[in-house]
Amino acid sequence: MMPGWILLQRLLPRIAAWLLLAFLFLPILVVIPVSLTDREYLSLPDQSLSLQHFASLLNWRAGWLPSMITSIGIAIASSLLATALAAAFAIGAWVHAGRWPTAMRLILLSPLIVPPIIYAVGMVRLWSRFNLLDTWIGVTLVHMILSMPLAVLAIGASLANLDPRLVQAARSLGARPPIVFAKVILPNILPGVAAGAVFAFITSWDEITVTLFITSRRIVTLPRKIWTSIADSVDPALAAIAAVMLLVTIVGLLIRMLVWDGRTPNRS
Amino acid sequence: MIVVTNFRRWAIALTVPAGALAICFYVLPILQVLALSVTEPSFGLGNYIALFQNAAIGRVVRTTLVVSAMTTVLTIVFSYIVAFALVQMRPGVRRFAMFLVMLPFWISVLVRAFSWITILRRNGVLNSALGEAGLISEPLELIYNQLGVIIGMVHYMMPFAILLLYANLTDIDGRIIQAARSLGARPFTIFWRVWLPLSMPGLAITTLFIVIFSFGFLVTPAILGAGRVLMIAEYISVQISGTLRWGVATALSTSMLLVVAGLVALAMRHPAFRSAFGGSQK
Repeated sequence: MMPGWILLQRLLPRIAAWLLLAFLFLPILVVIPVSLTDREYLSLPDQSLSLQHFASLLNWRAGWLPSMITSIGIAIASSLLATALAAAFAIGAWVHAGRWPTAMRLILLSPLIVPPIIYAVGMVRLWSRFNLLDTWIGVTLVHMILSMPLAVLAIGASLANLDPRLVQAARSLGARPPIVFAKVILPNILPGVAAGAVFAFITSWDEITVTLFITSRRIVTLPRKIWTSIADSVDPALAAIAAVMLLVTIVGLLIRMLVWDGRTPNRS
Repeated sequence: MIVVTNFRRWAIALTVPAGALAICFYVLPILQVLALSVTEPSFGLGNYIALFQNAAIGRVVRTTLVVSAMTTVLTIVFSYIVAFALVQMRPGVRRFAMFLVMLPFWISVLVRAFSWITILRRNGVLNSALGEAGLISEPLELIYNQLGVIIGMVHYMMPFAILLLYANLTDIDGRIIQAARSLGARPFTIFWRVWLPLSMPGLAITTLFIVIFSFGFLVTPAILGAGRVLMIAEYISVQISGTLRWGVATALSTSMLLVVAGLVALAMRHPAFRSAFGGSQK
């Protein structure tokens, strides 16, 4: 009716949306000024900016560096395993969409829905029976299982774009099955496999809920170290590690956006 | 014909390693949880009866339901506002807005919980700022209570919900909106009578996910509640790492799994869900 009323109807949702976007984004940025504090406790910088808390991250005995190396090692091992398994599975299920692959797909994807605490309860029992609590292999296997869903989804998405006639052509030309899988299908879905590997790596790198229960003293991943520090103290080194992770995420995201926009300019 | 079966056999063989590992190291441990709930410490439904008789567990369940419900409602309303605005934005602006959504999406849940601690605690950033501005004389209790847990959980769930809702909204045919506009519908009518009904499948599936995630969430409630807002997942964690009451822990886990399975089964009866879940069976 009145132009003012209509303007409000259009403007109000947009203002609300930007406020909510600020709610999502701004609170995370707080770790940057706090990480630069010159005090010994968690606070905004008082007199001057200081890099002392970043320096303390590099101190081996403070434990941040070892836990980062632990996390990277486990993430590399578990994501390589998960990606290889997920790629084999996705290709097999794409060629033969029978009852078994469909059922297996549901099982492989279920960690996305089933609360991780339930899986943690189960794994504590299983690993204590096999003496795999607090071991590299125990954590790597669990991370591998938890990384598979996203890898299967990413690889499955790129298979969905693959023309089945390519496989038919290769087979009618006499290519044996292993050659079809390795030399025809796999090269065509490499972007999906790479995306799956990145998702798997990040899943393992971030995993906390299950890791918390199947590790204690010997295997301290970075999330576990952060978890204990949050519970124990208000050490500004925590803000420094958070700031580092934030910057890495921003850089990774910008690279991804640039690569993505460069590859498919008409899509977003 | 022999060539076909041979090829199929190869394909099935490729699915076996992942499937077998998932059965050994995912399905079996979870089945063991179900089994333990009726055998530990003795065979029978004793653990489940205890769940209903224990007043502490009753409180934990109530807290979980209240916090999950609040989180879901707030997340869905807020995320819909953002997703709806994203659809209307110009591509350049949208890319920037998407960045603001994707950053929290990818950043560690621990970093986010830590940021909220820094902001919301008694002598945190927000209380100091409000104090210095003279708006409050006493620090506000914003954390280590339900309010803090809900703030943290909504912040955790929103990027996920926005991305799901946005995917659904972009699937809506723009010509329907144009048709409504050219027939003289006012913006509010278009929203109420066209956008909202067409968003229902997306809203339903997003709600399902957020309910399930909130219900079983451990990290954010544990950190921002600091033991004062005890939800089911943290209660289970205390049972298995502290007091070693496996019967209670597994019975609660089983109940939680049954609720999640029930919600998914209920949702699967709706065609929109079936297509979303079974989407990639070619």
